[in-house]
Amino acid sequence: MCGIVGYIGHRSAAPVILGGLRSLEYRGYDSFGIATLGKNLEVWKKKGKISDAGAVPGNLSGKIGIGHTRWATHGAPSDENAHPHLDCTGTIAVVHNGVIENFLPLRRELEARGHVFTSGTDTEVIVHLIEEQNGADLAVAVELTLKRLEGSYAILAIKAGEDRIVAARRQSPLVIGLGDGEVIAASDMTPLIDYTRSALILEEGDLATITPKGIGVFQGGHPVTRPLREVEWTAEDVRKGGFRHFMEKEIFEAPGVFHAAVKGTTFDEVPLWLRDCTALTLVACGTSYHAGMIFRYLMEEYGRVPVRVDLASEFKYYTPPLSGPVIGISQSGETADTIAALKAAKARNYPTIAVTNVVGSTITRIADFTLMMRAGPEISVAATKSFIAELGVLLALIDMRVGGSLRGHLSGGAQYIETALLADLSDAVALCAPAGHIFFVGRGPFFPAALEGALKMKEISYIHAEGYAAGEIKHGPFALLSPETPVVALCTRGPAYPVMVSNIHEMRARGAPLIVVGDCADLVIEHVADIFIPIPATHPILQVVTASVILQQLAYLTADTLGREIDQPRNLAKSVTVE
Amino acid sequence: MQAVILAAGEGKRVRPLTRGRPKALLPVGNRPILWYVIDAVVRAGIRDVVVVVGYRKEQVMRFLGSLDLPVRVVVQPHQVGTGDALCCAAHLLTDHFLVLPGDNYIDTASIARVLGETAAVLVKEHPSPSNFGVVLTCGGLVTEILEKPVAAPSFLVSTGVFSLPHEALSCLGSPELTDVVRDYIRTGREVTAVPAGEWADAIYPWDFVALNRLVLSKVHQEVRGEMSREAVIYGNVTIGEGTSIGPFTVISGPVAIGEDCDIGPHVVIGPGVSIGPGCRVGSFTCITDSVVMEGVEVGPFSHLCHAVIGQGTRLGDHTGVVVESRPFPCRGSVVPATFGAVIGDEVRSGPAVTFAQCVVGNSVAIRGHTLVNGDIARKDGSTVV
Repeated sequence: MCGIVGYIGHRSAAPVILGGLRSLEYRGYDSFGIATLGKNLEVWKKKGKISDAGAVPGNLSGKIGIGHTRWATHGAPSDENAHPHLDCTGTIAVVHNGVIENFLPLRRELEARGHVFTSGTDTEVIVHLIEEQNGADLAVAVELTLKRLEGSYAILAIKAGEDRIVAARRQSPLVIGLGDGEVIAASDMTPLIDYTRSALILEEGDLATITPKGIGVFQGGHPVTRPLREVEWTAEDVRKGGFRHFMEKEIFEAPGVFHAAVKGTTFDEVPLWLRDCTALTLVACGTSYHAGMIFRYLMEEYGRVPVRVDLASEFKYYTPPLSGPVIGISQSGETADTIAALKAAKARNYPTIAVTNVVGSTITRIADFTLMMRAGPEISVAATKSFIAELGVLLALIDMRVGGSLRGHLSGGAQYIETALLADLSDAVALCAPAGHIFFVGRGPFFPAALEGALKMKEISYIHAEGYAAGEIKHGPFALLSPETPVVALCTRGPAYPVMVSNIHEMRARGAPLIVVGDCADLVIEHVADIFIPIPATHPILQVVTASVILQQLAYLTADTLGREIDQPRNLAKSVTVE
Repeated sequence: MQAVILAAGEGKRVRPLTRGRPKALLPVGNRPILWYVIDAVVRAGIRDVVVVVGYRKEQVMRFLGSLDLPVRVVVQPHQVGTGDALCCAAHLLTDHFLVLPGDNYIDTASIARVLGETAAVLVKEHPSPSNFGVVLTCGGLVTEILEKPVAAPSFLVSTGVFSLPHEALSCLGSPELTDVVRDYIRTGREVTAVPAGEWADAIYPWDFVALNRLVLSKVHQEVRGEMSREAVIYGNVTIGEGTSIGPFTVISGPVAIGEDCDIGPHVVIGPGVSIGPGCRVGSFTCITDSVVMEGVEVGPFSHLCHAVIGQGTRLGDHTGVVVESRPFPCRGSVVPATFGAVIGDEVRSGPAVTFAQCVVGNSVAIRGHTLVNGDIARKDGSTVV
């Protein structure tokens, strides 16, 4: 996923494009670039986020320009791999969203003919192919080039000496907004809205030539007309797709995300030293730390490998004696503490592994090996789908350790998450919303799941919530229980089931209202709980995941009832890049 | 031109299949019905699409978010009727518009027929008209529309696809869309009755078998995944990525098989079969004329025909389905029906279970060696011993 923007008109193009890219940042944010056409073709491209870009350099003065924000697919994020890409002569610039499937043979062919490639991207073949049609008019050259490409694309191209932009699309979105003597083209409607309300949407295989005075659309070389439409919706609406918050949207993406994470972590991909290790250390912060703790319980039980889990922020300063590889988990790949911890491990000569969601993020360059979460951009500050993706990757690692015997359960996991999403939590939310304190309890792998449930509740509903191992309640927190403190207990059938049931009875005796997440059709629990939330009775490794999704929903719905700022909770930032 | 697609209703008559999603999201040919509606609308050249969601709206919005075309989403808080659903979307309508049900299959050609009309309804003859809005016409113009009449005076029914001018919104008020159009006609305006081409609705859950067949007739050959050299494929078959087809398996199209399926050796599939992603079919099993949704496991030595199997269901070995043609009780009445089995989501059945013209609820557990027929296992979560 990438975002592209093109502008031609009476304003200076670069600031318009930069603003447009900023609104497309959700489509990718690892690097960006702009090319403008004034007297000469000028390019400015950088690795990093657009929001940190600062002002546009003075040499980008043209009134025609194209820009790109990148979510790396081919080639790590770097200044070189950022779009726009130029041809050998530096007169043609191209931005591209999509994947060119046959780029390798094309690249070999072009290199054999003497073209010099400066990046590792698939996009660069496009600009060199256009260059080969030298002398031809840009639209003709693009048309001829597209015939050679397989895969998906939305392309914008400019050429020195031609006052226009050539656009084309196949399978990737592209819309063109027609303003007053200016035209802006983009991956979606959001960048258009500040300049115009009338837009046309290109169809599959369309090629458009854009000048300030108008747009010509061609299909297979013949001119066609595409009707103009009035845009009414706001940028936010388009991106949320009907969901009220990104968090809700991301919670509902969990089944697909879990499936992709499990499927993406394959046996051939993981190095032998990780598969055969005799001990493991995990370092992470916040939600990722809880994923790590769940991993510890399950890996030790099923994989019989001792696992140590440390808070990254502690690890750096109080490094324990290590044995075996060190895994750092960070959604953004930019978490300062986790990066520092991995560096510390590396300095002691231990192999390091990163688990992250962002291709080419800082952590991937430090670690010896990277496991991708494949969750797609996460926008809500409270991590939900990335937690599920982390569990997916980590559970797949356990499966590898046990020789693939859990694979059958894991591949059915998405189904169970889907079922968990259907749970009716309205009664539980009514109980939690007015509470001042909520306790989350569980045993075994459900203890970190309870910690995570409490963290989510704290983060977005601002209700004081604490997670405890159920057995620890008696060693102190019991004093806090009262009819005003709801307890959320995770109690599924397993080795700790009988003792967990008696814990629940004890808490109930203190008058605390009980919300229990348990196996469906568990009559004992259903009887004792004030509110019973059933989850599918399946393998415990999946029940941890489904219970976590239930707790995410509970936190979300509670915060929503309280009218909180869910996607941007107070005082919090998406990725913590300071220690 | 704008299009309003109504996908808010649950589709109570096709229960138990609608536990986790509305009828519009139920898969035929491995794609939600709603996908075909949006595809037809887009092919007819309409780009401004509004979808009204309600029942299980998050699942619908997630599906819409996965589409290339940006669509606007409107929530209907209470699903009281199609007229009310249109009312929810009225504030987004600025132009001549099309209203379509999101849970009926319709082809592009039919939509194209009503695009030029000021006010029109697509109509088609149906053998059981009392389930629809019955249309009376005179000289190609609609004189009366009766919503689900007890005694239908004609076999001509409304497909629910209307092309209406913006001023028709002034007639909103009735909960049902047919009544809105009736009120519009009563104000003296003309509504043309245009015959529809391919249109199909699943009234009862077993109708998905026929709907699936209709959709599969348009399937193209596209085989990905791993095929054993000894497997044989006839006709138009699509097989998704990551699916493995064991040796001596015979697949005769039209058949659609999703991604990451595991089809064991010596299996016979088709014609008229959709198998969702992540399914496993044991060896020596035969499946014909069925819809098998995602994540289903069918044990070895089984035989499924005229069956609709909900997601995540696991059927033991030697499962049999017997097609019978008897009047079947459905929501308070008895209707003529010919089918094998409709099985809900996450059902677990033991070995050697025989399903004979039956509807099985969601999460039902069935002990091995039992005969399940009629409506006995309809209640969700029940156990059959």
